[in-house]
Amino acid sequence: MAGAGVIDDYVTALDRRLRGPDPVKDDLLAEARDSLHDAAAAHRDDGLTEEDAQRRAVAEFGPVTAIAREYQGLLGLAHGARTLRSVMLVIPLAYVMWELNRRFWIGAWQDFDAPPPDWYLVVARFNDTSAWLVAGVAVLALLVGRRLARTAVSTLTLARLAGAVAVVAVGVSLLGNVAILAATAYLDATRLLTSPPVAAATVLSFVIALRLAVLARRCVVFSSV
Amino acid sequence: MKSDALRGHLDALLLATLDGGQLHGYAIIEALQRRSGGALDLPTGTVYPALRRLETAGLVASEWSTVGGRQRRTYRLTKAGQRALAAERTAWRDFTTAIEGVLGGGPWPAQA
Repeated sequence: MAGAGVIDDYVTALDRRLRGPDPVKDDLLAEARDSLHDAAAAHRDDGLTEEDAQRRAVAEFGPVTAIAREYQGLLGLAHGARTLRSVMLVIPLAYVMWELNRRFWIGAWQDFDAPPPDWYLVVARFNDTSAWLVAGVAVLALLVGRRLARTAVSTLTLARLAGAVAVVAVGVSLLGNVAILAATAYLDATRLLTSPPVAAATVLSFVIALRLAVLARRCVVFSSV
Repeated sequence: MKSDALRGHLDALLLATLDGGQLHGYAIIEALQRRSGGALDLPTGTVYPALRRLETAGLVASEWSTVGGRQRRTYRLTKAGQRALAAERTAWRDFTTAIEGVLGGGPWPAQA
């Protein structure tokens, strides 16, 4: 039937404009398609032809460009919230696992022949603190975001805020990891290879941090229209 | 009534529509149009992002369920949503009372 694919064409056009987590996107599009078919059915019952009913349903739904902007905000927000939850859980967990590993296989840093200098302890303290700091910031951002969602702040703005927090949080965490690694290499590179299990845990920590950096970057991409 | 005039009230209207029980998306749109006597004229596609934002805020909850033999996402008010709706209603009554006092055309109080 001519025009029977008007709704399909509209949903396809909407789909092409959206970027974000596939399960969330599929869910949003499935709901939009259902609503359009419901509206078209109501218009058919009022006497319109199939094609006219679908065209009217699509017209009532709104222009693709405007609707896509609102949907993109939701997708960006969903990804931002997911990233912040990952930051909140994974960064402290990776830190605790690395610390337990180090204590089991190496013991205290002071047990080495030469105790580390004060500047090294400052770097180590920054790394220790950053793990908990970024987790706390992520929790706070999630709570504030939930509050802001009850106001007139648009989902696109919320998505951008979540992305900005995620980028800064992951950046600080990565900086802590790189700083302690570089400081240890500068001080005594052999310490990095003292224990293969600890070296493996260090590599794993970096892989986790880089994965989080990719997620944070996507926050920025998904919250732009 | 155009969508610009509704923008500041859409959340409250959606919460009020869900006050009677859970509804799927198109039923919410139909209820909005029916209860407004057809005066509400907004792109229906904007209702869904608004519902999802309210879900993010914890004011509504949703799930896929079977309605009329079809799978549909249905929405319901949460406890926080009921509290928010009560606050919206109080604020709206205070507002309309104040505006009615000025625009309603009643006699001005006598000058002292």
